[in-house]
Amino acid sequence: MAKSRGENGPRAPAAEGSLSGTRESLVPGPDAAAADELSSLGSDSEANGFAERRIDKFGFIVGSQGAEGAPCPLLHRLEEVPLEVLRQRESKWLDMLNNWDKWMAKKHKKIRLRCQKGIPPSLRGRAWQYLSGGKVKLQQNSGKFDELDMSPGDPKWLDVIERDLHRQFPFHEMFVSRGGHGQQDLFRVLKAYTLYRPEEGYCQAQAPIAAVLLMHMPAEQAFWCLVQICEKYLPGYYSEKLEAIQLDGEILFSLLQKVSPVAHKHLSRQKIDPLLYMTEWFMCAFARTLPWSSVLRVWDMFFCEGVKIIFRVGLVLLKHALGSPEKLKACQGQYETIEQLRSLSPKIMQEAFLVQEVVELPVTERQIEREHLIQLRRWQETRGELQCCSPPRLHGAKAIMEAEPGPWPTLQPSPSIRLPPDALLPGSKGKPKPPKQSQKGKEQWKQAKASGQLDKPPTPSQAKVAAAAGDACPPQDVPLKDPAHQDPAPQDSAPQDSAHHRSQDSVHHHSQESLTSQESEDTYL
Amino acid sequence: MGNRAEEDYNFVFKVVLIGESGVGKTNLLSRFTRNEFSHDSRTTIGVEFSTRTVMLGTAAVKAQIWDTAGLERYRAITSAYYRGAVGALLVFDLTKHQTYAVVERWLKELYDHAEATIVVMLVGNKSDLQQAREVPTEEARMFAENNGLLFLETSALDSTNVELAFETVLKEIFSKVSKQRQNSSRTNAIALGRAQAGQEPGPGEKRACCISL
Repeated sequence: MAKSRGENGPRAPAAEGSLSGTRESLVPGPDAAAADELSSLGSDSEANGFAERRIDKFGFIVGSQGAEGAPCPLLHRLEEVPLEVLRQRESKWLDMLNNWDKWMAKKHKKIRLRCQKGIPPSLRGRAWQYLSGGKVKLQQNSGKFDELDMSPGDPKWLDVIERDLHRQFPFHEMFVSRGGHGQQDLFRVLKAYTLYRPEEGYCQAQAPIAAVLLMHMPAEQAFWCLVQICEKYLPGYYSEKLEAIQLDGEILFSLLQKVSPVAHKHLSRQKIDPLLYMTEWFMCAFARTLPWSSVLRVWDMFFCEGVKIIFRVGLVLLKHALGSPEKLKACQGQYETIEQLRSLSPKIMQEAFLVQEVVELPVTERQIEREHLIQLRRWQETRGELQCCSPPRLHGAKAIMEAEPGPWPTLQPSPSIRLPPDALLPGSKGKPKPPKQSQKGKEQWKQAKASGQLDKPPTPSQAKVAAAAGDACPPQDVPLKDPAHQDPAPQDSAPQDSAHHRSQDSVHHHSQESLTSQESEDTYL
Repeated sequence: MGNRAEEDYNFVFKVVLIGESGVGKTNLLSRFTRNEFSHDSRTTIGVEFSTRTVMLGTAAVKAQIWDTAGLERYRAITSAYYRGAVGALLVFDLTKHQTYAVVERWLKELYDHAEATIVVMLVGNKSDLQQAREVPTEEARMFAENNGLLFLETSALDSTNVELAFETVLKEIFSKVSKQRQNSSRTNAIALGRAQAGQEPGPGEKRACCISL
């Protein structure tokens, strides 16, 4: 936070036109000098002017205190994925996204592996929508967001939401400007949710969640992903009595006993309620805790595998912060212990290290569910019935997809650049691909089936999906370079920095090797 | 009120900040403990805290100031927050009458969870925004008086009365503690080194009196 000796004076609203959420705001204009004095800059440490501000690749202002997105340069080098690997991954992801139903039905383990390796930034927003089922929700509810967007909200909620708009990632260029497009969209998304679920209303932790989503996709898409998080991944987290988060705190603590008996014992002895350290972690899915590159990796896995990832991250952090006698030397009291958990060593939060630990931690959905029942029983014995009964949570993309009542709409990919069907693509096996894909696709699938490469015999519902996906192969039906078939989503017209959701600039991919691919997975974490 | 090295203290006083969302609790905390203020400090989710060690007379007192979310639904998870608190600053925004109107509700919640002897100060924050005032000083002062609360108006933005607010609360707590020590001859309510609510200092540190009033 900035040091202010009180020279700021009363808060002034942003001057008309001098600041906005657009790229233009980063270039010092004629009003830049005047703008510096205005509080809409946030903290007065930026008094040097816009030109001095550098933005990191995630959109965070470099050097600002508390900017989660400013990793140590040396660690940063470790995290760079080589360009060729990145391009390969993009091809693979494009293929998956264009054949999503098939992949989810038959090769879910591969999807999971690729989420663990990290989704390529250019496709992250799209992938999150597919994984979470937000994309399906949008298709099923076309026009709904606009309806909510145009309705007046409950003043009680609007008041609280407005107070929070400038308090989410204020050092991110998207949200730095008061009344800028980022804050506007944040308002729209949060307001829409209070209208969509009036009995739920608004919970402050939803704001950082929505903000992260908005960094990767436009408002309408972000809204539906938020809906999925609040209803499928983390039901009850943001509800009236916050009972779900309390239960999860107990579950986390319980699971800790096996993962790190030393940490568990210490927290027990110090009588430290889990809510004192895990509330922000879990409610914001670590978006306010970890360095930004780690946040994104965790979210990639979270969207695929569900809440167990959140539990694993929490357990890893606890284990490494408090899991040894040396570390506990500094934690003599309750206060010192919690302080230790709030200033975690960058080493344990570093992307590669953290992801490795999370992937390897043997904590399963089953264990979580079992512990959930135990804690629920204990709650009922000591505190009576739960006041807010949330639906059971779904543990990831596959569970969410399977819970959707059929028939499932075939997901229409919506790229905005299309290549001619016989174009040579990077990562392909050399031969140009013939345009008749659906026929080939079907044959490939039959081949795969025959050679036993499919994970398990398709259940009736899976077979339905596979057939639907095989028959209705989008590239066949869509003529090339037809602007009418462009995705109507307003990304391109939104003045936001396109780096934050370039997901639409993808190449239409005609891989024939979706299901029988033998290519080796890259080994980069 | 002087400052002392963080490691060297006789007492630890846990003070909690309570009040509606947006009234300025987090900035009061940062202003007092780090002399910092930000218009865009993050929404508090979960629990935040900071400490500052001050001298009260010859005693070094470590003030442990706790801060949490003000939004209504977070009330459900705050019993751990109140545990062991000996002081509270009940903050409202004097430019938003609504945040003052609910002060009684906050008091009730406070007394439901904390010790009855907790020292409470009513704080009207954002005094720098005089033109936007919605709560007359006298009204708030009368309410405080009628309810046995201390009262001050502060501005975390320009620092007005922030030190004074915390200092007053700490002094009041200290004076209660001293009285208690004088009064209790038989009981060992205050035993040096005995763990109470996890506030026991480590072997290397000066032993502190762990207080619950």
